[in-house]
Formats: sequence, C-alpha cells, structure tokens
Amino acid sequence: MTRKSKLPLILLAVFALTQAVIGRVVVFPVWVKDYKPKGNQANAGGLSPDQLLLSLAGFRELIAGILWVRADSFFDTGNYDAVLPLIRLVTILDPHQIDVYATGMWHIGYNFTDEDQRSDRRYIPSALALGKEGANNNKETYEMFFETGWMWYHKVDDDYAQAVKWFEDAHERPDIIQARKNLLSMAYFRAGELEKGIGLLNKLYEEAVVAENKADATYGNTQVRETIENNLDTHLVRFVQRGEWARLQDAKNGTNTFEQGDYDTLPPHDVGFSARVTVEAPRVIRVEGTWNVLPIGSRIRIVLRDEDYPNAVPAGMQWDMTDEVTLDPPKDITFMQDQLFIRNRRFDRRIDMSKDVTMYPFTKDKYVVEFYYNPRSAPPHLQDKFGYTGIGFTDSNFLDLQARNGERVMYAKLELTRDQLLQRGEWADRNAVVQTKNFDPGKRVGSQKDIINIPNLRAKG
Amino acid sequence: MKQIWSIAATTLGEAIRRRVLLVILLVGVVFIAIAPGLGVLSARSETTVLRSMLLGIIQMTSAVIAVVLTVYMIPNEIERRTIYTILSKPVQRWQFLLGKYFGAVLSLAVMMALMTGVLCIAYWIQQGYNAQGLQDLLKAPVMFFVQMCLLAAIGLFFSTFVSPLVNFFLSGGLYLLGSTFSLLFQDMLANPNAPGVAKMIATVVNVIVPNFAYYNIQNPIINPQVVIQDEFQNYVKIMAYGVAYIGALLVAGILIFDRREV
Repeated sequence: MTRKSKLPLILLAVFALTQAVIGRVVVFPVWVKDYKPKGNQANAGGLSPDQLLLSLAGFRELIAGILWVRADSFFDTGNYDAVLPLIRLVTILDPHQIDVYATGMWHIGYNFTDEDQRSDRRYIPSALALGKEGANNNKETYEMFFETGWMWYHKVDDDYAQAVKWFEDAHERPDIIQARKNLLSMAYFRAGELEKGIGLLNKLYEEAVVAENKADATYGNTQVRETIENNLDTHLVRFVQRGEWARLQDAKNGTNTFEQGDYDTLPPHDVGFSARVTVEAPRVIRVEGTWNVLPIGSRIRIVLRDEDYPNAVPAGMQWDMTDEVTLDPPKDITFMQDQLFIRNRRFDRRIDMSKDVTMYPFTKDKYVVEFYYNPRSAPPHLQDKFGYTGIGFTDSNFLDLQARNGERVMYAKLELTRDQLLQRGEWADRNAVVQTKNFDPGKRVGSQKDIINIPNLRAKG
Repeated sequence: MKQIWSIAATTLGEAIRRRVLLVILLVGVVFIAIAPGLGVLSARSETTVLRSMLLGIIQMTSAVIAVVLTVYMIPNEIERRTIYTILSKPVQRWQFLLGKYFGAVLSLAVMMALMTGVLCIAYWIQQGYNAQGLQDLLKAPVMFFVQMCLLAAIGLFFSTFVSPLVNFFLSGGLYLLGSTFSLLFQDMLANPNAPGVAKMIATVVNVIVPNFAYYNIQNPIINPQVVIQDEFQNYVKIMAYGVAYIGALLVAGILIFDRREV
C-alpha cells in the first residue's frame, strides 16, 4: 500500500457506507423491537449521576431493585410523595418489575387522599396509564391485565365494559390463577352481558369438576369447585327471579312474558331522589336529600368539579384519557368525588374541602355538583330489586338514559359559582343554597323508618 | 500475514504482563465472584439481579480494559522508540497497526474468557446446574466481545494521533455516548413533539457515532419471558455492523498513521 494508492480511501468509503447502512437500516429496527430497554430513557432524570451511570452501564435491574427497596422504606414511614417518583424510575429502569407496576398503580389510584380520605381522582388517569404501560411491557403474564381491570372494576366502578376488556385479556394468558378467573363473570354481569356471565361460570364449573376429579387433586380444588358452584347457583336463581331469563326469551321469541310475570324487578322502584346543597363556609358544603332505598349498600356518588373540567362526562371523566403517566396532575383544576350514605331514606353530609387547598383549588368561575347512581354498581341485595342492569330501577325526576349511553342511571346536576363556594363578593356574608326542584325541606323533619321490604332469594321463581 | 501475527502475539504477551490491566481484571473477577451475595439488595427475583450484575460487571470491566489497553499502544511504541526497530524490518506501517489491533483483540479475548469462566462458576454455584440458562447467559459475553473489539478499534484509531490521556477520555466518552445515544434517539423519533431539525441532526449523529448499545443484548437474557424471533440472524447483523465499523476505523487509522512523522 503506497501513499499514492487510492485503495485505502476506497476501502474507507466502503466500510463507512456499509456500517451506516447496516447500522441504520438493518440493525436499528431490530434493536428497537427486540433489545431496547422499555421505557423512556429521557425520563430517568431523577437518578443521581452515579445511579444513571450504573444503569446505563448495564446495572439497570440492580439500580431498580435498590430504588424499590428505598421506596419500601418511604412507604413504611408514610412519605407517600417520595414513593411516586421512585416507582416511576423503577418502572423505567426495569419495566418487567410487575410488583412495582401493580403497587404503583394502586398507590397512585388510592393513596393520594385529602384529610377525609377522599381519593384525588385527578390521579386516576395516570394510574390507569401506568397499568396499561405495565401490561404492554409484560404481555406474557396475566397480572397487569388483571390489575388494570381491577382498577376499572373497583376504583372507577362505573365503566364495566373496560373491566371486561382487561379481564378478558388476563384470561387469555395461561398463567392466570383460578381465584382470579371468577371476577370476569362478575364484570360481565355488571356490564350487562348476563349470558356471557352465566356461560363463563358454567365453563369454570366444568373445569373445576375436572380438576377435582384428577388423581392429584387437593382440598383447594374442592374449595374452588364449591365456590363456583355456589356462585352459579345463586346467579341462576337471581337470573330467573329478576326476570332476566324471561327478558332473554322475550328478545329471542318476540314474546312479552316478562311484563306479565311475577318478577322481583316489577314494577320498577322509584328511588325518589332530591337534593339540596348549602355552602356553609368557604370550601365547605352540606348536602342533604332523599333516597327511597335501603340504607345498607346504598351510596350515591357526588361530584363537585369545574364546569369545564377536561374530558368530563356526567359525574365522572374519561378515565383513560391519557397514555402518559403524570405524577403531577394540573393543580388548577378541581374534581371532588365522594359517596353519600343513606339513613332513614335521607342523606345529610358535610363535605369539608378547606383543609386541602391544593386538591380543591377552585380557580375556575363555574362549578357543577353532580349526583349519580348506577344500579349496576349496587350490591346484590339491592340488585334483587333493581335487576342487574336497572330494569327494576326508576326515578320519576332524574332517571337518565343519556349519561351512560342508554344505561338506566339516576343523574342530577346543580350549579355553583366560585364566589359562592369561596364565599366572596356578594356571597361574603351569605350561604349559597342550590337544590333540585323536587326538594322538600319539610321531609327533613321527623323520622321515617327504613324500607326493608326489598325482595330476597326465595324458593319460587 | 506473518508479520501481522508476530506483532499480534507480541502485543498479547505485553498485555498479559501489564500490571494495570491485571489489576482491572482482578477487580472484575472479584466482583463477579461476590455478585451472587449481592442479590439480596433487590426486592426482585435474585436470578434477574444476578444475571444483570454479572453481565454488567463483565461489560464494564472489559470496556475499561479495552480503553486502557489501546490508548497506550502507538504512543508507547514511539516513546520507547521500539517502533523504529520494528519499522526498520520489512514491516509496513499498516501491518504494524493491524498487528497491534489483533493483539489487542486477542488480549481482550483471553481476559474476557477468564471473566466468563468465573461468571459460569458463580452462576452455577448460585443457581445450580442449568445448561439452558447458562447457554442463554453466555450469548451476552460473546456480543460484548464484539463490542469491545469495536471499542479497541476506536482506541487504536485515536492513538495514532492523540496522546493517551486525551485518547482515554475520547474513547471513554464515545463509548458512553454510543451506549446511550440510541436509547435517546429512539425516544426522540417516537416523540411527535420533537422538532424535525433536531430529529434530522440526531439521525446524522446516529449514523456516525458507533452504536455500542446494539451489543447490549442482555435485556431478553435477564428477562427470559421476552421472546426473540430470528435471534441468530440478529446477532449476525449486529456483528456485521461491528465488522464494517471496525474496518472503517482501521483503514482511517492506517491512513493517518501512514502520514504521521514518527
């Protein structure tokens, strides 16, 4: 090779071009698909320089493990705010730590509360986004699909089609454990897919019988079979008594046996909702009203939110509005959600938001107070009257078929202004009062006994 | 060819005698040996952490060895004037450079093989005999070896025209950049809000900077539930990338060294 030879230059050009083409066109897509660590590395900025260096040098799982141990110690000391960024870092560094995803989701969704233990619902979309991310990063196991479904089922407790979707995804994974399987049937019932619910219980029962009859069966197999058998029995009786079987037959045959039958859900029960909201002090409201239902398990949802709350729906929001896990939701929006408990066919609750100004900033001019009840969320003893989907439920004033796409729910809305809630301006020395048109103050006085003649399981169908 | 082999063999002998390299190697071996005891640091599966740590230690130690080994290669020869003795014989400069490079590669092979042997023993003690697990685990050191060959080529390339100290930081910095840039680059590409110009510049940088991250294949090994299709083909592609880049660096190094006054 002489200095005047062009061979080295040609070789250099060929090698340089080859590495560029192979690297960018051939290897990069493969690497992104199969080998790139999951998670956005740009978000790992919370690591100290030594941790970042170590994690980049290949000790990601070790650093993630150490951070998780540290997060655990913060849990023990009640320092919840410090836990959140650590959870995020751990999931970025090691996106296969399912425990961290599941715990993080629960923590974000449940543990940020005000002085009265009301969850900060502004965090729920982030909790669901974390669950979605965890499921996407761990598709081979049922766990995060189940956990995300559980959050829809239990915490959101409203959109059961979402719970069904996630639980079904969990069921597709072969590692799902027996005890988790039954919940899908419950989600089916609440989502109004009754035949699917009964069908799944039947299928699980058959599987449980096979497992119980195997040579290596344990006492646990018998327990599983008995649990499913009990569930199936109960639901079959309820299915008939609530008239759902008759309605299914009517739909198939074009008959009208349900209307003519003696079913517990007939005639629909008027819950007689009315409400009054009084602003007693800045950020403190008193909510009173009537609800003509048994006390045990009767909970009416109340929401106080900005009128223009982003992605709001009646008495809720689009909980899966984002795929981004935001640990710091906007501090200028207000969304309070609580439950009203019933006693003597009335509710009377004082809600104090004055101790948690960051959670209830009240920066907007207009607010709505929403009341919502979905019979699908009701406990079984109330559903014995209301039916699985609310066919035995009505309210002469506030039955709403629009709020949840045709579902039979109670929905009422009142309006308040910022000045009223904070007792400013013309409301500085007055208590604002808003109420539904049917609210009768006279009904507040005296005592009316609880109604306890809700039907129960009985021998004849 | 004979000249290249002779220089490579001499370089290997020198590397094995260098104390600094042996100390680094010893530190790596000790860390690998005690790694099984550190699994308790994590709340997660000990196997996962153990694999992560063992592979991390091998990679880090090998990278330090590769840099320290190559940054002194040409400057030391010039400083000690041994290069005159060699070049006065019928040895071309390009043969000298290639010999040095292959010597470095051989040294790396020996040292990494030693660490991998200790890794196997540590893994076996901790996890019991698991042929499949061990076989999976060993894929990573093989790819790390190609990665270190690339790093050695960078060190040797810079050693043809910069001092060892500057070379140390240049090669080390490039290794860090090459290990991290692809991660950030991919995140940037996936971010719809990133400016188009920034994406374009990042693409150019991604093409120029050696992508060491391509050899970090430990993710599916540490987390075996991740299923990879056409794994062997992937490795061949990644190795081809490394060979092409090493070829470019060696030719560039030869061109510079050929024109340098020694």
